[in-house]
Amino acid sequence: MDNKTNAPTFSAKTKMSEIITSSSLLSIIERLNIKLGFGEASINEICRRNNLSTELFLKICKVYAVESFVPDIENLTREDIPEIIGYLQRTHKYWTESFFPNLHSNIHIMLESCDGTSKRMLNKFYDDYDEEIKKHLDYEENTVFPYILSLSKCEQKNANSYRIKDFEENHSNIEEKLQDLKNIVIKYLPESASQQSRINVLNEIFKIEDDLNKHSIIENKILIPLVSKFE
Amino acid sequence: MSAKHKVTIIEPSEIVSAGLKQLVEYGGNFHVVKIFKSLQDYSENQNGNPDIILVNPSVLPLGDNTDPRTLLSAKDFTAVVAIYYAPYDDNTIRNYNAGVGIFSTQEQIEKKLQSVLKTPSDKEQDDNSNELSARECEILTAVAKGKTNKEIADEFNLSIHTVISHRKNISHKLGINSIAGLTIYAVMNKLLDVEDF
Repeated sequence: MDNKTNAPTFSAKTKMSEIITSSSLLSIIERLNIKLGFGEASINEICRRNNLSTELFLKICKVYAVESFVPDIENLTREDIPEIIGYLQRTHKYWTESFFPNLHSNIHIMLESCDGTSKRMLNKFYDDYDEEIKKHLDYEENTVFPYILSLSKCEQKNANSYRIKDFEENHSNIEEKLQDLKNIVIKYLPESASQQSRINVLNEIFKIEDDLNKHSIIENKILIPLVSKFE
Repeated sequence: MSAKHKVTIIEPSEIVSAGLKQLVEYGGNFHVVKIFKSLQDYSENQNGNPDIILVNPSVLPLGDNTDPRTLLSAKDFTAVVAIYYAPYDDNTIRNYNAGVGIFSTQEQIEKKLQSVLKTPSDKEQDDNSNELSARECEILTAVAKGKTNKEIADEFNLSIHTVISHRKNISHKLGINSIAGLTIYAVMNKLLDVEDF
């Protein structure tokens, strides 16, 4: 369980080891390529060793640790952009290589004992959703991120006609179908689907819901405003 | 002392609404909280949930055979009562909880309004009732078949606005927004044959 209600207030001087209180904070460490084994080092010290802006690190951690925290881009610089992109890319990688295949196989197990029609329709529903996610992530990986990285490297304005506001406009909502799937599993799946298999699927969905939500906060409140500043 | 039941009136004639207000409040059981002159006035300015809406059917769009409850976004516990000047055909009044003619006496009005009031337990039940109505099932089936709002509006003789508000209610009740998800619901609940698509 994430320890959100009693979220610790932390600052640059806090010991790094003290803030690792939940699996989501642990995954931030992983996605930022920070190795465990902090000893008594402070957040500031660990960030310095990893060439990472402490400001950025604290903002990302707070998004995950403090419910309804809305970050701003104060004290962030152009140099932070590649770091943010790297973070988002490693999140995508985790989703596509580990999380979604895992969810898929859990759904498969859940549907095994359902009748042919429900099974077929839900499998198709999930396959379509999978496709939608792939498209969404591919667009970010192949269009948005390269644009942002090229922007962050050169001082001049980008000649390309793409602008970050195009990203804002094309930023599709990949959470809707997940909500639908969740409600179908909770409310409407025939009794033949075992309780345990449903619970496994639901737990996975809760996990990704939270992750997706935080991910879009980082994109919408940190990345997009920061990039617009340098366009 | 128990609180007075709240009544909203939608009636174009000021003379009629003022008279109704007098008679409705006379017995001390009802309080007219708001008077509107038209459906538009009502849609834009109403707030709160009255126990009874007294409405002159002439303010509702002609030819739209939608349930007046839907047009008025009436909560399940709100009774909708027609005000009529001349006898209406049964079909029109059928969609209302009751009808009050303007030649009724104060006692008749009082009695009518008392009879349509829901008891507190009714209210609770209605509030918790999230099942789809027959009309919502029909619209859901059409959505699952891939029909557009326009096609559905034409098929059921509704305005597009009404279709959209039905769809919102359906998604709200089921917790399902995507067409693909609604289709699965429709098939699982046998509203639709798999062969239909």
